[in-house]
Amino acid sequence: MNLLEIKNLHASIGDTKILHGINLTINRGEVHAIMGPNGSGKSTLSYVLSGRDGYEVTDGEILLDGESVLEMEADERARAGMFLAFQYPVELPGVTGMSFLRAAVNARRREAGQDEVDQLEFVKLVRAAAADLGVDNEMLKRAVNVGFSGGEKKRYEILQMSLLKPSLAVLDETDSGLDVDALKIVSDGVNAQRGGDCGMLVITHYQRLLSHIVPDFVHILAGGRIIKSGDKSLALEVEENGYAGLVDAA
Amino acid sequence: MPHKLSEIISWPEQREKAKTYFDSYGWPDNRNEAWKYTSLAHLKEGKFTASSDNAPIDSAPIDSTAQPEGFYVEISGSAVQLPPQDALPNGISITDITADDNARAAAFTHLADNHLLPALSAMHQTSAIAIDIEKTDSAAPLPAVILNLTGSNKEGACYPFVIVRVHKGAEARIAEIHSSHAGLSCPLMVYEVADDAKLQHIRLQAEASHTTHLGLNQMQMGKNSQINSFAISMGGALSRLETHSLFLGSDAELAQSAIYLGRDRQHHDITSFVAHEIRDCASRQLIRGVLDDKARGVFQGKVRVAPDAQKTDGQQMSRALLLSRDAEADAKPELEIFADDVVCSHGATVGELDENLMFYLKSRGIAEEDARNMLIDAFLVDTLDEIEDPDFAAFMTSQINRWSLARR
Repeated sequence: MNLLEIKNLHASIGDTKILHGINLTINRGEVHAIMGPNGSGKSTLSYVLSGRDGYEVTDGEILLDGESVLEMEADERARAGMFLAFQYPVELPGVTGMSFLRAAVNARRREAGQDEVDQLEFVKLVRAAAADLGVDNEMLKRAVNVGFSGGEKKRYEILQMSLLKPSLAVLDETDSGLDVDALKIVSDGVNAQRGGDCGMLVITHYQRLLSHIVPDFVHILAGGRIIKSGDKSLALEVEENGYAGLVDAA
Repeated sequence: MPHKLSEIISWPEQREKAKTYFDSYGWPDNRNEAWKYTSLAHLKEGKFTASSDNAPIDSAPIDSTAQPEGFYVEISGSAVQLPPQDALPNGISITDITADDNARAAAFTHLADNHLLPALSAMHQTSAIAIDIEKTDSAAPLPAVILNLTGSNKEGACYPFVIVRVHKGAEARIAEIHSSHAGLSCPLMVYEVADDAKLQHIRLQAEASHTTHLGLNQMQMGKNSQINSFAISMGGALSRLETHSLFLGSDAELAQSAIYLGRDRQHHDITSFVAHEIRDCASRQLIRGVLDDKARGVFQGKVRVAPDAQKTDGQQMSRALLLSRDAEADAKPELEIFADDVVCSHGATVGELDENLMFYLKSRGIAEEDARNMLIDAFLVDTLDEIEDPDFAAFMTSQINRWSLARR
């Protein structure tokens, strides 16, 4: 069975139609990249997949492990294995990192019929995962994302991903706001979770992220449709010639 | 703070002045600008007299598990029970000054003239207590003094009056716990913090659900003094806490936070007046409210910077969180700045839980209701860092947690 199947997906925000019939299939272990110019519907696609309020699916279907997610709330989709790494992670003053991470992991575990994590063991687990991503203990003690730099926020997203072990990870412009060093750390974190059962959808404007997280498939999104699909060489073609030629040809 | 004798009008005169004021103005309603959002029209019908019923109250709405340690002053209606002086450590003395007209009159020197709350107290107070905290040789901070204000006469009113004098260089820790069951509760607290002195202060208002609470905290600050104050209003049917903060010497710092928690048809009003009369002083105020059901919250905050109060640093921020479509919050921040070299800011927001934050939590698998509770708790807990004293912080944290759990 396919991990994710998007069939003829049409979606609107209010009266504005953004997605006009997207078809995309992702299997376990695959990394797909979606590239596209500004306003092509990239972020809308990530929000529609993760079930954000205000994004209405007017036609089509989204299947995760063969089950429709359209009637599921964002939290249900997350517990079913979906994860969205935010382009702009929000600050949560007053919510400490450890309690937030534990609540998220426990929500997922309860859904799977597992016991909640042991508190001490969890702290060890988080610290180990955090160390790999250059997230220090001080950051874990602070309120979620409060006072974090752009790069720190992105690393924190990937830390959450590594703890939640999603079956489908959607990375929305994870490269935005990162310098070269931070990009490397974040990409290494993502690559460490590649393969196995996890499928990934990497959304980006630029090719540069894809030289770190090398995709198996590349799709060009323009005007709310996938206008071209190919392998990683398609990303290089965009880098070389820009989106204009592809969009005109479509 | 020493008063010049010429400034002080005698206690009988003070009382007469209050009566004259009240006879002319009576209970204010919405037509009075200062009471625009909080009408006391319902009190016109009430026949409140000073409470003399000292029966113990049946159910304390307070979480007493984290009650701070210290010396308890029990004030129940007009009955007062002080700890014996020989039990108190060096540096703390607690005195009944009911018979000391001069001391009572002196405490009124800086209170607002022609103002309802001081007038009510002057007219009706039946007891008066003075707490003196003096500097000691010991490096360890003095034990806390806890004012436990009760009173059980539902038909009656109580007007407790306490003067806290933190003498030069001393450090005081004072907690007020208001859990009266009186029909009308009008506590007046005057804090005189002398030069180089420091006050750590908390105030919990957790009165019975029928009580009208009209409290006034007067904060007077000498040169280089500090106040760290945190108040929670969570009880009562209608509650107003006025804080009047006066800088009387330079280089003083006031950090003042207040939280109100409203449910059912509760009405909570936090009204503050900060008077920067002297240069080089700083005030930082943080006000937060959470309103559920049909509760209503009011914040009025005036900061006045006198022409001579150059280099004033005045910050004020109020935020109200509405959890129900029927809840309402009003905010009236006012800056009156007459000096030119100052840094002052204020802001007031009223809103619902942020959809962006809700989506972030839900996208991590946290269910709607759990996410809401996390954000409400975070909104309140975020302010608790303001409390310097760990015992006080633990006590206030447990009150907030208790309120949050009861709401669910």
